[in-house]
Amino acid sequence: MSEVIGRPPGPVLDVVKAEGAAPIFATGDEVKISMRSPVGHYRVPTFIRGKRGRVEAVIEPPAINNEDEGFGRNAGVKRHYYRIAIPLTELWPRYAGSKSDGLRIEVFETWLERS
Amino acid sequence: MGSHAHTPAPEVPEQKPGYYEIMETAVRELLVEKKVISAGEIRQMLEVMDTRTPALGSKIVARAWVDPDFRQRLVANGRKTLEELGIDFFENTQLIVLENTDKVHNLIVCTLCSCYPREILGLPPDWYKLKPYRARAVKEPRAVLAEFGTVIPDNVEVRVSDSTAMIRYLVLPQRPPGIEDFTEEQLAPLVTRDAMIGVVKPKVPSAKEKSQ
Amino acid sequence: MNQTEDLIKQLPTELGGLEAGPIQRVEHEYAPWEKRCHALANILDIHKIVNTEEKRRGIASLGGELVGKLTYYERWIVAFANILFQKQILTPDELARKMQEVEARYPGTASLGS
Repeated sequence: MSEVIGRPPGPVLDVVKAEGAAPIFATGDEVKISMRSPVGHYRVPTFIRGKRGRVEAVIEPPAINNEDEGFGRNAGVKRHYYRIAIPLTELWPRYAGSKSDGLRIEVFETWLERS
Repeated sequence: MGSHAHTPAPEVPEQKPGYYEIMETAVRELLVEKKVISAGEIRQMLEVMDTRTPALGSKIVARAWVDPDFRQRLVANGRKTLEELGIDFFENTQLIVLENTDKVHNLIVCTLCSCYPREILGLPPDWYKLKPYRARAVKEPRAVLAEFGTVIPDNVEVRVSDSTAMIRYLVLPQRPPGIEDFTEEQLAPLVTRDAMIGVVKPKVPSAKEKSQ
Repeated sequence: MNQTEDLIKQLPTELGGLEAGPIQRVEHEYAPWEKRCHALANILDIHKIVNTEEKRRGIASLGGELVGKLTYYERWIVAFANILFQKQILTPDELARKMQEVEARYPGTASLGS
């Protein structure tokens, strides 16, 4: 199971949000990509696993985990994808370009941990 | 059926198709026979696909260069803005338009497969889908750009967007300087497909083109 | 340690960060059957018969040798065949017979086999 941090307590509302409907992370959050190794299908490249980055944007609306979609699931809990910024120096120890060079990549909520 | 003296029906090409084309034909015909899909849908989708070429992307970029309001809406919500122009999306994707600036140079890649803004640019070039580009664009983008003849100064960030989910990208290159009076029609041809992938900058107009 | 783990942990279709040579500026004009294959994929996705992610997973499932040796749309059509069999939309026998029938439209050439 992924290490999803529990949702922070929100204001009391008349409407109860469906599970997964509220994004757990916000723009600017420091995050780390989880390290597990799925068999059969994944959409989180190996080269970003375990790396640290920052949430650049929360992508709306929430959607189904595309890793599950690969096996025909088209229903289930929807969660958010996040556009994550990761410096290339974080990805590649001997990166020779500019220190400001970076990667942007969409990552599903269940692959992110607070850093 | 029909006269034996005539050559085969025009739809059947003389050269025998390869193994995989035979497979494609068989799969398609079976699905149509079983009414899973219709032949008309395939034909119509082919027609739609044929209208999506880099020329469409060039027009969008040229308009963004001359129309700041359009540019703002395009960057805020790429898909919605283009749907308003009648450019429908046949995949369940969003579009983020990446603006190149004096500080940031964007390029796009799909390291896991071949995600590409097909609704706007049409089908991608082979090199975009092959190993060298997909492996190296995220690891040594400046070396990749150099192979395309593009040199980005160290004080400009190179930003690589790797598509893994429902977002597709289109690079909005910087407008070349010195042609402020160019119309949309004159600007569009300067915007090549590769400039919208981000591996090159737009073409610089010749002196002759500038004087027209 | 089992050296084959890495073959399972890394999909044959995943290429980011791997060692690779210079970019060959290869382009080709798409053959009609390739465009039809792409159109088929779009239609199957729109109808939610085979979604795009299933196609991607199906291609990776072909394994390293086929992913390396087949061209782009060749991988697609073989993956589609497998997925359609798994979903019981087509059977291998149906497809084999139909492929023979299609091939027979071109007389005077070697058959795909009995």
